[in-house]
Amino acid sequence: MAQYTFLLPDVGEGIHEGQLVEWLASAGDTIKEDQPLVRIETDKAVVELPSPVSGKITQLKGEPGEIIHVGDPIAFFEIEGAAPAPSHHHDAPAAQAAPAAPAPQAAAPAAPAHTATLAATPAKRPQDVLATPHTRALARQMGVDITRLQGTGRAGRITDEDIQAAASGQIAAPAPQAAAPVHQQVADQAAQAHTARTPVAAAPPAAANVEVTVHGPVERVPQTFLRRKIAEQMVLSRQQLVHVTHIEEADVTELFKHYDESKKALAKRDIKLTPLPYFIKATIACLKEFPIFNASYDAQKGEILFKKYYNIGIAVDTPEGLVVPVIKDADRKDIVTIAQEIRDLAKRARERTLKIDEMRGGSYTITNIGPVGGVFATPIINYPELAILGLHKIEDRPAVVDGEICVRKRMYLSTSFDHQLIDGADAARFMRTLAEMLAEPAYLFTRF
Amino acid sequence: MVVGNLNASEGCDALVIGAGPGGYVCAIRLAQLGKDVILVDARASLGGVCLNEGCIPSKALIHAAETFEHLQHADSMGIVLEGTARIDMPKLKSWKDSVVKRLTGGVATMEKMNGVRVMQGTARFLGPNQVELMQDGRPIMIDFEQAVIATGTTAIELPFMPFDGEFVIGSREALDLEEVPEKLVVIGGGYIGLELGTAYKKLGADVTVVEMMDQLLGGSLEPEINSLLNKRCKQLGIQVLLQHKAISAKPGKLGEVVVEDKDGKQKTLPANKVLVAVGRRPNTSKLDLATVGLQADAQGFIQVDIERRTAVPHIFAIGDITEQPMLAHKAYREAKVAAEVIAGHPAAYDVRVVPAVMFTDPEIASAGMTEAQAREAGYNVQIGVFPLKASGRAMTLGAPEGLTKVVVDMDSQRLLGVHIAGPQAGELIGEGTLALELDAFIDDIGHTIHAHPTLSEAVLEAAEIALGTCAHFASPKR
Repeated sequence: MAQYTFLLPDVGEGIHEGQLVEWLASAGDTIKEDQPLVRIETDKAVVELPSPVSGKITQLKGEPGEIIHVGDPIAFFEIEGAAPAPSHHHDAPAAQAAPAAPAPQAAAPAAPAHTATLAATPAKRPQDVLATPHTRALARQMGVDITRLQGTGRAGRITDEDIQAAASGQIAAPAPQAAAPVHQQVADQAAQAHTARTPVAAAPPAAANVEVTVHGPVERVPQTFLRRKIAEQMVLSRQQLVHVTHIEEADVTELFKHYDESKKALAKRDIKLTPLPYFIKATIACLKEFPIFNASYDAQKGEILFKKYYNIGIAVDTPEGLVVPVIKDADRKDIVTIAQEIRDLAKRARERTLKIDEMRGGSYTITNIGPVGGVFATPIINYPELAILGLHKIEDRPAVVDGEICVRKRMYLSTSFDHQLIDGADAARFMRTLAEMLAEPAYLFTRF
Repeated sequence: MVVGNLNASEGCDALVIGAGPGGYVCAIRLAQLGKDVILVDARASLGGVCLNEGCIPSKALIHAAETFEHLQHADSMGIVLEGTARIDMPKLKSWKDSVVKRLTGGVATMEKMNGVRVMQGTARFLGPNQVELMQDGRPIMIDFEQAVIATGTTAIELPFMPFDGEFVIGSREALDLEEVPEKLVVIGGGYIGLELGTAYKKLGADVTVVEMMDQLLGGSLEPEINSLLNKRCKQLGIQVLLQHKAISAKPGKLGEVVVEDKDGKQKTLPANKVLVAVGRRPNTSKLDLATVGLQADAQGFIQVDIERRTAVPHIFAIGDITEQPMLAHKAYREAKVAAEVIAGHPAAYDVRVVPAVMFTDPEIASAGMTEAQAREAGYNVQIGVFPLKASGRAMTLGAPEGLTKVVVDMDSQRLLGVHIAGPQAGELIGEGTLALELDAFIDDIGHTIHAHPTLSEAVLEAAEIALGTCAHFASPKR
């Protein structure tokens, strides 16, 4: 008999923590290799982890709802076989032991990190985490991985307040991106993003925790993991970018005439069509004309990263909160293909079965809030992207055409942009071009 | 609890094996946290090597030797001794023993007050939740929910020069000599050999220290401190043979030790005693670790995680048997961590620094990175070195030899290491240790008032040298 310790593996590049959803086996069970062991919710998806070995489970560590970090021991096994299995368990103290640590260059990301101080950093060497013993103990108590926090104090010192903020999801503990190419790093952040709309509140847990206060009963509902991640991303974006929102109005009467005809033509062939792909195509044409809108910023080097690809993130409203799947290389896909992809991604986003890769690599994000309602909004940029487009309600409105008042299909378009890199006039030009394309399909189609 | 076992049996929540600094503290802490605890040790007296035959008795001996040496040089301060000062070894020994007894008795009282059951005997595992404790040839079974292994270390023996308790001795016997040997050869220039060698030199022995490496104290010292140490050894008349190894010993009232230099040239050293202090080995071989699925590594260490948990989740290990450095105060901290983890609290052995003190002459203490380690770790290093020659307090103590050194990360201004040589270095390192553990910046020290006139000012001065604000010493231009 030998012992085997199962450490929470890296369930996807850049994912360093997750919430234990449920155990699929119990201590004392005999389990086969690859048999499902546990379900873990990350900010990207719910993943099922299989048992790494065949053997008897001696102990399971962690309760449903608990946050666990990559590298934490989560299950202990008794397995058949000779030498004690190489339980990675032992790597931890060695790494922690101090002197023979790698030079910082080795630990630094190979690719440039993106914007400013709160940008993603890999886990620090223990000796490079500035915090007092009290603060370190507080982090342990609150389940915060202190090696991945960027402190607000001098030289990055982590304070008690930083720990509390991280625990309550107010400060980003950015995901590590050691050697990933830049666009992937950027994507990792983008995938966590949140845009303008207010998500539907999470369903309350089965057993409501109701407190009676002097003002009346109050129900306490724990924040979900996804919600916390969304919050982190929102704060990060607000801290890093200078948001300004510009509103434009577009006349989409002609476009919708075309759309209605295409829809009928496709329906005969059992192909479904929605208007969103037209907007994506028009946006890409504008991004090509105004490349700064399809860029991000590397603060460390003071360089702008112009993306030579057009991966468009689509904000999807799910019961637990907002997720942003990405349509890769949307510039090279036709309207029908994009429509199918959106349908598939949105469905799986609601089921929380998206693969992590499907939420990465975005270069620009569109939030289609119009069908829900409202006049216009001021969306929050999906950091580290530099701008976002909001599509608002399309309705029949009175308009003046050739000196006459008539009924037209019109809509508002909003864009929030980072005024650090983009000026208001640029945003106005970008939006005017977009509105023109949407108004004149004959022009738009020449840019597909 | 075991029912129906023919042997005598006991049961507990937590069993602690070994009552050294790790084990006795762990047992107390576990009891404080509400656990039912049994503490076992092979010795009748608690406290392990540290209290019984290590830290404490050696410091008593060293202090006596220092006091004796100071008396011999006290005339410069106008202290005139009528007749000569002389050493009464039996009396020194009984004073030292009385210190040990008071301390070990104190530990026993603390265990009792906390409700820890203490049992004497040697333990070995019979199963994942049971040990057998051999007590005068009688086995007692002890069942436990969780166990902490804290069995410490034993002096390493040279196979060609085995301990005989008379001529070839270890540190334990060296602390119990009936008389000062006329000629003492010390094999091993680590801190144990050098501390005891220096003490016996001051008590009147002719001392030769034989070291295989090209530096004393394992080559771990800051170069500035290493040269002070060598100078002082020479001044005291300690013969240091670097890059020499022991070959053989011929016991006798006046016996011989043969040593060989790196070129193979041999030398015979006359000796009344040979102290072998070449390191210590974890006591893990008699525990039958395999029974519970554990295995010590080649050096005998048991690997643990940051919670001091072994590969078997309900068994913990602390102290000298887990990893270097083998120091009582490291075991104290590990003990607290293991006890708290066992009681279900979030705790981790995540200390920044383990300070080290060597009671040599000069006394040497260090915490954190050496300059060389900091450079190797990639820091942009700045140092501040303050010689005690410029310290008023050191001069009034008649001890102007020594220095304080700080190692700083120039980019963040964060303190990375503190190294001290001189009187009370072991006390002074406390400030450096706390500063490092709090991740202090160098100006945190530089802007803190240090009382005058004290040796502690030397830490401030070194910090100010690093900051470029020192008023008491003109450091060489950087």
